[in-house]
Amino acid sequence: MLPLDYSLLKSGNEISDQTYTLGQKEVALYLEAVQDKSSREFDKSGIELSPPMAVAALSLRGVVVDLQIPGGTLHVGQEMEFVNSVKVGETLRCVASLASNNVRGKWRFMVVSLTVLNSSGLSVMKGKSTIMLPA
Amino acid sequence: MKLGADLIPIKKMITMDQIRMYADASGDYNPIHINEDFGKNSQFGRNIGHGMMAAATISELMAESFGMAWYNTGKMKMRFRSPVYPGDEIQTSGQIKKLEDTTNSSHITCTVMITRQDGDIIISGETSVRVDKSASAGD
Repeated sequence: MLPLDYSLLKSGNEISDQTYTLGQKEVALYLEAVQDKSSREFDKSGIELSPPMAVAALSLRGVVVDLQIPGGTLHVGQEMEFVNSVKVGETLRCVASLASNNVRGKWRFMVVSLTVLNSSGLSVMKGKSTIMLPA
Repeated sequence: MKLGADLIPIKKMITMDQIRMYADASGDYNPIHINEDFGKNSQFGRNIGHGMMAAATISELMAESFGMAWYNTGKMKMRFRSPVYPGDEIQTSGQIKKLEDTTNSSHITCTVMITRQDGDIIISGETSVRVDKSASAGD
């Protein structure tokens, strides 16, 4: 994979479009990592729901890989909106596009728009990440 | 839920094992989080935890307070103000700052914050949730 020239990326460019399954194993690992002890939620048919932030973490996975985030990159801001719950075991499409790309001093600031859709194409999460990369 | 009410705070210890586990869970293997030498040579002089790992406690706080409503209608806007380090004890707190009632639901806005043991702010932000009046919080 060739390194990206970040200066060529423009607002509206698609950064990542990846599909992942958020299964029982992935949710269990996430919950252990963040020591989440909140009560688990279930849908009306008794199927366990994924914690919203597990979906948010997944939405950033493709960005980290496809944007080839360099070591030393810092996450400085995050917005999220959870619009529909996600069942454990659902396959999710995570799409990311660039919203802005500016250099200030020694740092490049990028804002990435995130959308997560379930297998029916229904939006389950929207968000925006602001990251700061060495320029 | 009343205006000005505090949400029940959450305290956690951040460990290097937890950071490594979060790297596996999120796929974020940025060396600033998991490579000791890289951390030592960084501006922080050591490894730092993932911001989203710390931020997860805000979601936990909201899920504990508002249950299913958080899963379906939750919003959060956060600023990562300083890093979280292995060995930090963090406290996540929240307070209801706005209540807007409609016929069928209440829209609740909270200020949220994560601080470390020395009082430094790690994350500050705002969350909101819409709670159906026909269901009690947590349903």
